[in-house]
Amino acid sequence: MQNPVIEADVVVIGGGSAGSTAAIRAKELLPNGKVLLLEKAHIKRSGAIAIGMDGLNNAVIPGHATPEQYVKEITMANDGIVNQRAVYEYAKNSFDMIRKLDSWGVKFQKTQSGDFDVKRVHHNGNYVLPMPEGYDLKKILTRRLKRAGVTVLNRVMATRLLVSNGRIAGLIGLDSRTGTVQVVRARAVILCCGASGRLGLPASGYLYGTYENPSNAGDGYSLAYHAGAELTGIECFQINPLIKDYNGPACAYVTGPFGGHTVNAHGHRFIESDYWSGQMMMEFYRELHSQNGPVYLELRHLQPETLREIEGVLHRTERPSRGRFHLGRGHSYDTNRVEIHISEIGLCSGHSASGVWVDEKGATTVPGLYTAGDMACVPHNYLLGALTYGEICANNAAEFLADIGFADLPTDDIDRETLRVTAPLQRPAGLLHNQYEFKVRRLVNDYLQPPKSKVKMEIGLSHFMRAEEELEELSAANPHELMRVMECGFIRDCAEMAARASLYRTESRWGLYHYRLDYPEMNDADWFCHVNLRKAADGTMEALKRPVAPYLFPLSEEELRSYHRIRIPAAETKPRSTNGTPGHAALG
Amino acid sequence: MSEIDQREKVKAEAATTLRQAHTTYRVSVPVVMNEQKCIAGCKICIDSCPVDCLAINPETGKAHMKFDECWYCLACEIDCPRDAITVQIPYLLR
Repeated sequence: MQNPVIEADVVVIGGGSAGSTAAIRAKELLPNGKVLLLEKAHIKRSGAIAIGMDGLNNAVIPGHATPEQYVKEITMANDGIVNQRAVYEYAKNSFDMIRKLDSWGVKFQKTQSGDFDVKRVHHNGNYVLPMPEGYDLKKILTRRLKRAGVTVLNRVMATRLLVSNGRIAGLIGLDSRTGTVQVVRARAVILCCGASGRLGLPASGYLYGTYENPSNAGDGYSLAYHAGAELTGIECFQINPLIKDYNGPACAYVTGPFGGHTVNAHGHRFIESDYWSGQMMMEFYRELHSQNGPVYLELRHLQPETLREIEGVLHRTERPSRGRFHLGRGHSYDTNRVEIHISEIGLCSGHSASGVWVDEKGATTVPGLYTAGDMACVPHNYLLGALTYGEICANNAAEFLADIGFADLPTDDIDRETLRVTAPLQRPAGLLHNQYEFKVRRLVNDYLQPPKSKVKMEIGLSHFMRAEEELEELSAANPHELMRVMECGFIRDCAEMAARASLYRTESRWGLYHYRLDYPEMNDADWFCHVNLRKAADGTMEALKRPVAPYLFPLSEEELRSYHRIRIPAAETKPRSTNGTPGHAALG
Repeated sequence: MSEIDQREKVKAEAATTLRQAHTTYRVSVPVVMNEQKCIAGCKICIDSCPVDCLAINPETGKAHMKFDECWYCLACEIDCPRDAITVQIPYLLR
């Protein structure tokens, strides 16, 4: 079944944080044009912030930090491999976005004098702005989308982008309720599909027990790749310190400013900064796998009223079921430390650096195709980066289409893709999506989870190539399962990308994110560069080097290595004080 | 080739090429509905679910968790106008 073709000037794929601001801004700039937002879930509860967020992790607020300081901090946290122009574009524009959100009714924590109440979590600067009442964020964005006049199509998932004569022509989508194929013709497309959050398998074995919203299955990475766009930093995996089994954030960013901190089994602090970086995760990994493991979030030294305040944030925003998880085990912050472990791997530039290669306009290497949010490589861009880059993409997409019409629709590609998408419904006796997904993700754990090595990753890669052939054996009993089958393809593509990029970079970098046992040292002489992936002319995946653009803000060698000094030397660690005072003991 | 070897050769070949057979198995699901409170015809929770794991049960006309794909995010529970939903932590994580 195929619906009539829809035409739109700008199509935004994904209605989470980045997609919302991209669509709102595009409609502002094109009041007489059509802006279509495609969402595989429903915009009222979609994306990484479906249930809100407890804070902005990278707020660059005058008086607390400058864009230059921020660009330098992110350069340090990424061992120098960043496009500073792209990070700077965010840093310059992010405060305007905070003020816009403030005017929209998003409640930020403020001091008594009305200033934004910025906290320090990063290694060097102050960038964390709490939103203790951030549970309404998605509702506010949804209201703004409706008010702006954006056309929304819920429960439609893009399966492939359409490219014609080298530029974007539209996309093909699948309605996961009806199983119908939807062709959309577009002059510009903004991809905002979020992270590849269903890549590694959680230790619990539950496919949907992920840190990321599981509807973020790496769709955008796969869509961009098959459209011919370059991806970058894929080997810089996302690996997070999470509540063991629950697999949500513990969350040191929220509790740190109240005096909570990360400790080992002996109650000793071992990291100076709880800010998520590969270097921090390396120290976390070492501690976990030593006689000092496991690792905990320690809150027991805080006053009961402080703990209730922390619960008021953690049990209401982002992952509000944390509270019932602890209760179910008979634990409370007053009497129990929270066991933290290392998550399975994912791809996410919001936290690390793996994403689609973009410039400071949010433009990919395919004309007319832009991308923002967790799937676009602007390292450590987090929620505010998604919101800010959504607008940046819309600004530049509107400029791009000012003097360009629709590209011709590639009819052969549409026919081929329609057949591919609908085929699993015709295979009643095929493989099943849940088993296929479990196996690919289990193999990702077995062969790609750091520490990495050539032999292991090559075995993994051979499994992922075999899995590519098996995609054509998958069966779907209904449209919902068909969506999952298509996601199996996205997940497999991301697994191949993760293996190939990691094999290509024969050094170690970004702490645990790309720690290779066979090349344990960082090697700037050969690898101070980006590693990009793209689809070669013969249809296979190729890796290549791209130089790091000259810095806007040069750093000294000493500064560049600053994130290598995260560990607290053993002699300086002290046992947890049992009657310590709450306050700011953890940071600074 | 012995008879056993010959048989294994045929079976090994067949094992790699035959169609898949399916069966079903039961799982406990974390989204628990109070069907007395749930309003027939209301689809608010179904719209809310980011992974689309809820659906109307054709036998009762009420919402239920149809697919074992819950992110325990609580969107359905929070958005239900009748407070008819309780989300448990999925057993594998509990």
